Amino acid sequence: MRQAQAAVTLRGLQKSFPLGNGRVLEILNIPQLVLPVGSATVLTGLSGSGKTTLLNLIAGIAVPSAGKIWVHNADIFALPEPQRDRFRAQHIGYIFQTFNLLAPFTALENVMLSMLFAPVMARSEQRQRAQCLLSQLGLSARLHHKPPQLSRGEQQRVTIARALANNPPLVLADEPCANLDARTAQVVLAALLTICRQAHKTLLLVSHDVTVLGAADRVLDMAEINRAVGMEPV
Amino acid sequence: MTVVSVAWTYLRGRAVTSALTIFSIALGVSLVIASVLLTQGIRASFIEGTTDYNLIVGAKGSPTQLVLSAVFRLDVATPNILYSVYEQLQDDDRVNIAVPVSLGDAYQGFRYVATTPEYFAPQPWRRKSFRLAQGRLFTHEPPEAPTYGAVLGAAVARRTGLRAGDQFYEGEEMAEYPLTVVGILRPTHSADDRAIFCSLATYWDMNEIAREMPVKPLTAVLVRPQRMSDLPGLHREFNVRGETQAVFPSAILLTIFQLLSLAEEVLTIILILVAVVVMLYLFVSMYSATLERKREIATMRALGARRLTILSLVLLESTTLALFGAIFGLVGGHGLTCVGTYLLAQRSGITLHPFQLSPLQLAVVIGVMILGIVAGLIPAMLAYRTEVAENLAPLS
Repeated sequence: MRQAQAAVTLRGLQKSFPLGNGRVLEILNIPQLVLPVGSATVLTGLSGSGKTTLLNLIAGIAVPSAGKIWVHNADIFALPEPQRDRFRAQHIGYIFQTFNLLAPFTALENVMLSMLFAPVMARSEQRQRAQCLLSQLGLSARLHHKPPQLSRGEQQRVTIARALANNPPLVLADEPCANLDARTAQVVLAALLTICRQAHKTLLLVSHDVTVLGAADRVLDMAEINRAVGMEPV
Repeated sequence: MTVVSVAWTYLRGRAVTSALTIFSIALGVSLVIASVLLTQGIRASFIEGTTDYNLIVGAKGSPTQLVLSAVFRLDVATPNILYSVYEQLQDDDRVNIAVPVSLGDAYQGFRYVATTPEYFAPQPWRRKSFRLAQGRLFTHEPPEAPTYGAVLGAAVARRTGLRAGDQFYEGEEMAEYPLTVVGILRPTHSADDRAIFCSLATYWDMNEIAREMPVKPLTAVLVRPQRMSDLPGLHREFNVRGETQAVFPSAILLTIFQLLSLAEEVLTIILILVAVVVMLYLFVSMYSATLERKREIATMRALGARRLTILSLVLLESTTLALFGAIFGLVGGHGLTCVGTYLLAQRSGITLHPFQLSPLQLAVVIGVMILGIVAGLIPAMLAYRTEVAENLAPLS
């Protein structure tokens, strides 16, 4: 019952990095965390408090030292890696702080690229879906522009479209507006929140922006949920 | 969008590097194709030219020189033998056919070859057939009644522009003895394409010394025995004489092939080195491209690309480069062979078929693609092992 209502459930999650000489730095220690389906959660915390690591673990692109993560009832680290990759492509949209758009591809191709890894729709529909998403984000005139030809705000909107391309139920956004000016950041965040709310997607967003904090259903401070914050290497 | 289109976009994205890589592969493939085709062609051309006759009788001296000059016109003619040698061979019961040959000067670089109409006669054992493109062949002529008719090889007619009925001579001293073109041969793809054939009577009459000689001179006699078992006897008989030697062209061919084999061995080593250099170039190109886009690879992995998809993407890129290199190399190789064929034809009369298709082309394409896969393996493994979180760390 618990897992049916939760988009993400963490239990006993730990992540530590070896420092050499037998010493280990614990980055994350979260006994339990549940993100309800359709919620918009903002994650705040100091630099180095493990926000990005937490997102990477939920996305399945980093492996926890201990604990379990369920995303929409799937124990993602119980899945073999190829299946976990497929699961990520279909169920999780990831928005990076540094955009990470692929330079040789146009905005449209960048969005379509993520559909290549999750064949959830027919090839003929992919282009239409990508065009639709980019238009929704105000980029209909930039479909065939490559990343260097786009402004930072436009690049981040392409990243959002790419994350939403496979219509994932969970969206992870790692400080999506950190590299944007205040006005552009507002536009981008508004667009992201609107799309996620309309489509009843679960959003976990790392941000320090006060306007975002106000718009979220829930704000989580890493200092409160992560027991490893401030811990010295052991 | 497919993995193929992604690979293609990446290759286009680094167009200069891709073009240079393709060019270097194409250069290597061109060298391989041209070298193999030229050596195969030279070999085939030698075989083609020597298998019609089993024995060549000429003046004492170098056997190789005799075969190279009498059959391929690649060397200076050996000293003359007497016409009576030919008469003896013609009268010999062991001889099926004996064809006299006299090599003379040249017109615009094309050598005069004096012989009898038997030289062109169709024979069941003859690999090469002589067919006329224009006019007729010359007939038997008694020494006292030369007709000064000439039959031109195909290359001679093409290069000199002479047609049936045209008269020609080289040098003012020969103005008194112009030859008239009576026929033009179709291409035989042999040294005969570069020969100007005339009768022995005409040749002797043109030559001031030969004109005065009571027994006329010849360069060589081409012999085909009745039975192969007659060959050793004929060979021995004409070798023990003081003024003649008899040579098995096939034996000379073996000597030539041994020399060619040595050259081929050296060539093979060079070609292997070329293949290694090309593979290294492709490897370096793919390796640096993979290193440069580790972040992009990590991004694709974060978007859900499987490791195998990334591996196949890199392999596809290196194989595509190899494939294009192979295709352009094939074109370039045949182009180089064409140039080589032209130069060989100009200088030696050896005629090759530069556009002849064989399993070689397919083997080269497959071989180069395998090289492409091998060269792409390490970069592909590097891409395969790319750790996502590490490579997606925010840029400082």
